[in-house]
Amino acid sequence: MTSVSVRIAAANGDGVESTGAILGRVAANLGLEVVGDRGYQSVIRGGHVWSQVRIGDEKLHDFGDSADILVALNQEAIAHQGSHLSKGAAVIYDPSKTNADQLNGRGYRLIGMPLMDMALAAGGDPKMRNMAALGAVAKILGMPMESFEGVIKRMFSRKGNDIVANNTRAVTEGYGYSGIEKLYDLKYDGKQRYLLEGNVSLAIGAYAAGCKYYAAYPMTPASGILHWFAAHADRGVMYKQTEDEIAAINSAIGAASAGVRAMCGTSGGGFSLMVEALGMAGMIEAPIVVVESQRTGPSTGLPTKTEQGDLLFVMHASQGEFPRIVVAPRGVEECFGIAAEAFNLAERYQCPVIILMDLFLSEHFESVSGIDPGTIKIDRGKMVARASQEGRFKRYLLTDDGVSPRSLPGSKGLAFIASSDEHNEYGDIVSDVLAGIDEHVEMRKRMHEKRMRKIETMLKNETLFVPSIEGESSEHFIVTFGSTTAAARGAVERLRRMGKSFGLISFSYLMPMDSAKTKMALSGKHLIDVECNFTGQLAKVIAMNTGVMIEDKVLKYDGEAITSGEIVDRVLKVLER
Amino acid sequence: MPINFSSGVKPIFCPGCGDFGVYAALTKAFQDLGLDKDMLLVVTGIGCSSSIVQALGCYGIHSLHGRLLPVATGARLANHDLTVVGVGGDGDGYGIGSAHFLHTARRNIDIAYVVMNNQTYGLTTGQTSPTGQKGYKTKSTPFGNIENPINPLAIAISAGATYVARGFSGDPVHLAGLIKDGIAHKGFALIDVFSPCVTFNHMNTYDWFRERVYKMDGHDVADKGAALKKAFEEEETGYAKLPLGLFYRAEKPTYEEQDITLRSGALIGQPMPTKEQVLAMLQENV
Repeated sequence: MTSVSVRIAAANGDGVESTGAILGRVAANLGLEVVGDRGYQSVIRGGHVWSQVRIGDEKLHDFGDSADILVALNQEAIAHQGSHLSKGAAVIYDPSKTNADQLNGRGYRLIGMPLMDMALAAGGDPKMRNMAALGAVAKILGMPMESFEGVIKRMFSRKGNDIVANNTRAVTEGYGYSGIEKLYDLKYDGKQRYLLEGNVSLAIGAYAAGCKYYAAYPMTPASGILHWFAAHADRGVMYKQTEDEIAAINSAIGAASAGVRAMCGTSGGGFSLMVEALGMAGMIEAPIVVVESQRTGPSTGLPTKTEQGDLLFVMHASQGEFPRIVVAPRGVEECFGIAAEAFNLAERYQCPVIILMDLFLSEHFESVSGIDPGTIKIDRGKMVARASQEGRFKRYLLTDDGVSPRSLPGSKGLAFIASSDEHNEYGDIVSDVLAGIDEHVEMRKRMHEKRMRKIETMLKNETLFVPSIEGESSEHFIVTFGSTTAAARGAVERLRRMGKSFGLISFSYLMPMDSAKTKMALSGKHLIDVECNFTGQLAKVIAMNTGVMIEDKVLKYDGEAITSGEIVDRVLKVLER
Repeated sequence: MPINFSSGVKPIFCPGCGDFGVYAALTKAFQDLGLDKDMLLVVTGIGCSSSIVQALGCYGIHSLHGRLLPVATGARLANHDLTVVGVGGDGDGYGIGSAHFLHTARRNIDIAYVVMNNQTYGLTTGQTSPTGQKGYKTKSTPFGNIENPINPLAIAISAGATYVARGFSGDPVHLAGLIKDGIAHKGFALIDVFSPCVTFNHMNTYDWFRERVYKMDGHDVADKGAALKKAFEEEETGYAKLPLGLFYRAEKPTYEEQDITLRSGALIGQPMPTKEQVLAMLQENV
């Protein structure tokens, strides 16, 4: 397999993100595999930002430990990125603007190009420096120049034909610059792939499932979801920007209660505000989907950095007990299917489903080829449209499986009250003058048991609540969840190439957990827990559910996404112990 | 025969509570409008007044303290063929839910919002509320309240509500008219109701209100400046005069009328996407 990591570094506002996106899209169009990530700060202009795009001719698990090609668009890029270069990396820079002396004599291939002059010649916008550099990168990677034209057109057409023409010209200039030669031989199959960020994959999955209402208050890194919904508001999906996250989740509950598939999304801070209403969704059995995209906490933390520190929080947020489903997609492609299935689960079990994302999963992009909208099935769960008998409708009928058929406002003769107070089968509250009276003490007990019975039903009817095992007969296993899975899979492959016997146990669905099956999957194996938080929250959840204690842990909490290389290094240290 | 808006469940109000008058006015307004029980959704918060939803026999959501307006907003946006009415108390709407009150008003979403205003947190056994007057002695203000009460009518008018009225539960027929017009009005309607708490509020009693309230006559409801002046009359007269009736009304586009997604009809009626539509969304990312 051949793979190349290209890193573009400059200041915020220099177009680093769009340059990375164009390179990624071109590669995905050609049929190459792509994983890209960016580093940015909580500022709008200035600062130091980078975008790294790894391109390969086989499936990639991460965006690369270091850059094979660096496009350094300013002096800070030379200063800060020197430590992120692979051996023999190529560095593209503009000698008239940037001094690369500090990289001299370290075995790098320094490629000085008059990027600013080329940008000015191509149309006069200094920002197009990155497009000229991109042309050079394309040549080095052996990508045909024509492959850029369509992507540039799609991405810039809204800005006008001149912008499209100028940018194309700048890429052509760079592509043809004398002395640039092809250095890599990437084999592409011509099968076009989508280039999706996790947030976009999730949003389209929700759309495919018929989600029509998305409510949010802007918060990084979940905002990509709202941007998607807002941009498609003319095509049957509503985005409602609310005054705060409290209103976001409460309005989603209102919409779901009225019968529309509804979702809200935020990061940990906003989720903190949503907690009370999450409990109401549990109590009135409203089917909502809540997205929580984690960033580095606690408090405001690092708003532009990643972490998996909210797992225990989302599992246990709210007073009292109620069934909920918690699922952490293990990659960009899985975001689509999990989002789509989340609405079925929410309606089948009439409970909140929490999709646990993180900044890395939300915002990094990958080439995706495995999404098939034809596989989406919509199951709206038990519903009643017509009254079958006289008298008041028992919305909260005590059933064996815990799920009571629901009616929607507007259905004739099926009115009921969805009460956040404890209630009887009609929804009438038993919390005030009736509280403590024998008959109603019994009702509280039976109604609580009815709701909680849904967990048993989920475990009985679904096969989702167990981890996936890769390499069943291995000696050692990395255990992980959510977005860390891809890097862990890459690490397992590398460890195997080093002659180690390694397998992977990964969780997407984390709550409820099939304790017996999970215990069986984990027992008798040497397990190493890998996750991005300080306390080993997955290991705690496993211990709580199965009694299996994982002693060896690789934990990361510096805000950066974990890579395969880092996992390998740290796992090897564990094995030395 | 008028539709019977009763589920058979009794509200939890104390004997003599002002909220009985609101219950009578609310059900009369529903009947006078000829509302279909199955197309009516009443959303309440938490508090004595919010328990009213239990008694009405229509669809209801008895939601969280302070959150009835966002819940009602979501339901209304999901199915704007429903008549959505929010009902709650002053602590619920003007205290813990005050942000939602402002923002629902400015959106001019077509929800009528009836607030039973008794200056008191009753269900928590009597503490002063955001509309409690200076000097009001309660369990939470044993030395007298030192905070200024908020003016919900002035806030609603400023925030962008397009129907702002005040009634008195001692005059349920007049109140029913205000509620009826508020529900019929296109846009966000606030109907604040003086609804005495006979158990805990010994300052703002029925007699106290009866000595002060009067029905406005000749007030120009289209004049926003005049409406604000009327809204401030209570504090300018040292609470000697409390005007009742319609303060402000404006015809403005509702949120639902302007929302691009709703141009194709109520959300709930819009079809699930086809496989081809999903593929088109994916194809935007090449």
